[in-house]
Amino acid sequence: MKVTVIFVMNLFVLTALGDVTNARSKNRGKGSMWWGIAKAGEPNNLSPISPGGVYMDLSSAHGTLRRKQRRLARENPGLLVALHKGANNAIHECQHQFRNQRWNCSTRAFPRGKNLFGKIVDKGCRETAFIYAITSAAVTHAIARACSEGSIDTCNCETHYKGRPHVSGNGGGAAVAGVRDFEWGGCSDNIGFGFTVSREFVDAGERGKTIREKMNLHNNEAGRWHVKDQMRQECKCHGMSGSCTIKTCWMRLPPFRVIGDLLKDRFDGASHVAASGHHRNNNNAHQNRPPKNPKLNAISSNSIHSKRENRRKHKYGFQLKPFNPEHKPPGTKDLVYYEMSPGFCEKNPKLGIQGTHGRLCNDTSMGVDGCDIMCCGRGYRTQEVVVFERCNCTFHWCCEVKCDVCRTKRTIHTCV
Amino acid sequence: MPGTILENLSGRKLSVLVAILFFSQLGCFLVGLIAPKPANSQGILATVCHNNKTAAKDMNYWVTRNCERIDLNHVEPGLTADDIVFVLQMPLSPEMDFSRWQQNLVGILQFDLLYQKGLNPVDFIVELTIDARLAFSDKKRTGGRTPWTYYAHSEEKRYMDCNIDLKNIKDPEGYPYNCSMVPLFELGSLYHDYYLLNIRLPYNEQQMKNVDLRKIQDVYLHLIHMNGGFTQVWVSLKTFFFPIIIGIMVWFWRRVHLLSRTPALLEYMLISLGGTLAFLDLPLEYLTLWFEMPYMLLLSDIRQGIFYAMLLSFWLVFAGEHMLIQDNGEKNSIKLYWKHLSTIVTGCLSLLVFDLCERGIQLVNPFYSIWVTPVGTNLALSFIILAGISASMYFIFLCYMIWRVFKNISIKRSVLPSMSQARRLHYEGIIYRFNFLMLATVICAAVTVISFILSQVAEGQNKWDENMELELSSALHTGVYGMWNVYICAMLMLYAPSHKQWPAEPICTEGEEVEFSRLPTDPTPNEISSLTSFASKASIE
Repeated sequence: MKVTVIFVMNLFVLTALGDVTNARSKNRGKGSMWWGIAKAGEPNNLSPISPGGVYMDLSSAHGTLRRKQRRLARENPGLLVALHKGANNAIHECQHQFRNQRWNCSTRAFPRGKNLFGKIVDKGCRETAFIYAITSAAVTHAIARACSEGSIDTCNCETHYKGRPHVSGNGGGAAVAGVRDFEWGGCSDNIGFGFTVSREFVDAGERGKTIREKMNLHNNEAGRWHVKDQMRQECKCHGMSGSCTIKTCWMRLPPFRVIGDLLKDRFDGASHVAASGHHRNNNNAHQNRPPKNPKLNAISSNSIHSKRENRRKHKYGFQLKPFNPEHKPPGTKDLVYYEMSPGFCEKNPKLGIQGTHGRLCNDTSMGVDGCDIMCCGRGYRTQEVVVFERCNCTFHWCCEVKCDVCRTKRTIHTCV
Repeated sequence: MPGTILENLSGRKLSVLVAILFFSQLGCFLVGLIAPKPANSQGILATVCHNNKTAAKDMNYWVTRNCERIDLNHVEPGLTADDIVFVLQMPLSPEMDFSRWQQNLVGILQFDLLYQKGLNPVDFIVELTIDARLAFSDKKRTGGRTPWTYYAHSEEKRYMDCNIDLKNIKDPEGYPYNCSMVPLFELGSLYHDYYLLNIRLPYNEQQMKNVDLRKIQDVYLHLIHMNGGFTQVWVSLKTFFFPIIIGIMVWFWRRVHLLSRTPALLEYMLISLGGTLAFLDLPLEYLTLWFEMPYMLLLSDIRQGIFYAMLLSFWLVFAGEHMLIQDNGEKNSIKLYWKHLSTIVTGCLSLLVFDLCERGIQLVNPFYSIWVTPVGTNLALSFIILAGISASMYFIFLCYMIWRVFKNISIKRSVLPSMSQARRLHYEGIIYRFNFLMLATVICAAVTVISFILSQVAEGQNKWDENMELELSSALHTGVYGMWNVYICAMLMLYAPSHKQWPAEPICTEGEEVEFSRLPTDPTPNEISSLTSFASKASIE
């Protein structure tokens, strides 16, 4: 009952918003409806022992999925659990990365679909770019991890030589062929599967026609590439007498925190792209804009000619242009945005911004967590509190941290 | 007068033979292209399960993936190290099973440790105590699986280097350490269909077990197995070469025995070289499809070792026999080369001892590693260093001998113009063919080294978006293997005694050419090629 009410409300809000801005924005969050999966089902009920049960629990999320996404979930049992974990990792990591900033990546209590992160995602700003990138990266990471865990059955082993990872082996023939492939050439890396499935799933709603969709696609792709490029290779020699006549290497999945840090760096240096480029296709965009700067053209054509970049960048066949023609066009791993971020200082219910009232800040810092910036010049309250902290800790495997309790006086600053 | 086939073969026949050998060499390379890469790995994330402390004392108690799970990121209070068991089921997917074509299994553990504020040094070595138990299970004919059965158990120590680069990390809390991998086990035969590994990390402050361990986020096991496709191609290559080399050996030995003399040293060397190659080619791998042979890894090391030892000795003797360290008329024997050969023997024996210490003990305990204890490490290193020293001594000897052969030849070359036309052409031909074979050896050695480097590079490369189905490293392996087979076949064929008589030679009685004329009453038994006799006469001079 509650769910339906919220759904109806959301619909209402959506349409209302659509009226306010323009018809285009209706489609804005279409591809990100799946975020709702993060809050679908209680984590306690997620017992990975019985995939059937999980499927039932997460089926409440099914309504928010697009047809293609539902198909992927159906064909890859265990995928929804991985997505659920991935989405939660994304939220957790986003909040960790932004804990000291005006915008702190807050999620809403009863979110549904794309409104998980509030309506900030309706704007094509930096924060939105980060959200798209981190969710897509988290999903890639979570799927690859679930593959190594054995909780998705359709990972690479069976489909090694078919090149279509999302096709599940239903029917005995396919399974036998899979076993034979495994016997012949082993399994390939899971990250490939994670990358492909994540691309199919996360990008399902984006057609890449409007600037917003292009931005989403670009940021999704950037998130995935970060995961892929952070894979570290390790090798082991196992030839004659353990020598390196035969050497086998594998890729090691990076911990997600590493990716979060990198994406945060990209957020700080995100590329502002030109919003006017949202034509039907790329060629038109090229023709409609007379080359203002021959140097820029040279740069972009260079990047197209460089083979590797080319293959990476033009999966969807578009190249975003920088807002400032003097700048380089955004690379694969850059985050892109085309609208300026709203102010996060004051509460803005329309965009779901909570403001920085009552946030903690650091009075000595000159950075974004400093009180000057955090409190937007409103000033801050200073309190002295006594805190009991853990100190002189020693760790005892498995799960015990033995610490002394230290009593320290701390000065706390809170924004007015 | 016996010569070798190499000298008496016409240029056309020689080129045809070389062409045939070249094409079979090319075939070996091409056949490697259809094979997948030699070995593959599979990363398996350990399932963290609740351990039944009392039941765990029983060696036949197995925790499978259908267990009560623990989330290491949110542990309930009161959980101790003894409550946790890491479960790894191999292969990962339950629908897959290992094939015996996959030959062997190597397991490597990777621990993801997390930094926690206030208690960790930046750089440290963890002494891990791992209680590892391995079980196996097989597919039943009627469907289903046999119950898990005990295979091996051991409590092992391992060392793991961990570090974290705090300079580049803004907030290290919850950041992972960069830890080295931990080799865990090596199975010489992959006889069973499924394996199950239960790992416990006991904690004991008194016995210093796992006291340095940090918060574990994940435990991965990287499994390396040979690829079935590669084994199939490899074994077929062996099956192809084995009868050929046996046939050539029989033919060679019969030809030697047709002569009215005892075989010369070089002929003995050639036949034993053929023998070791035949032993290497013997496709014993077929037996692993029916029998459990955990000693296969050791055996294949020994087979390769014997072959290399023989090949190195052959080169030495080959160079020596063309240089003359013997006295006149006396039959050459292997004893003359004891100084040089002892380097090979020392090197190979120390490698054998090292191998027996590592892979020999692994027959009993697959979790054993010689590198864990400091004593073992020193022992292993000293054996390897000894082998290295012998190898360099050997190469110094070999290079010196080859240098002397070439010096001899060049001295004699200056004498050549004063010889009669027919004889000069003849000797020039011999020198040319000898050089040709030396060149072949150098090329083979160079190709081996280059392909080794190439395969290292190819394996080290990060291939992401390449859809290349071709696997170069397999082709390099089969190519090199085929090359040495072809090389030895060629040696056996070209150095077999020829039955052809020498062309009628003008008998000269004047000048220094008399030195080169053959006395029919002087068939030195070690004179298998006229180059040798040419060189020996040169030294009499």
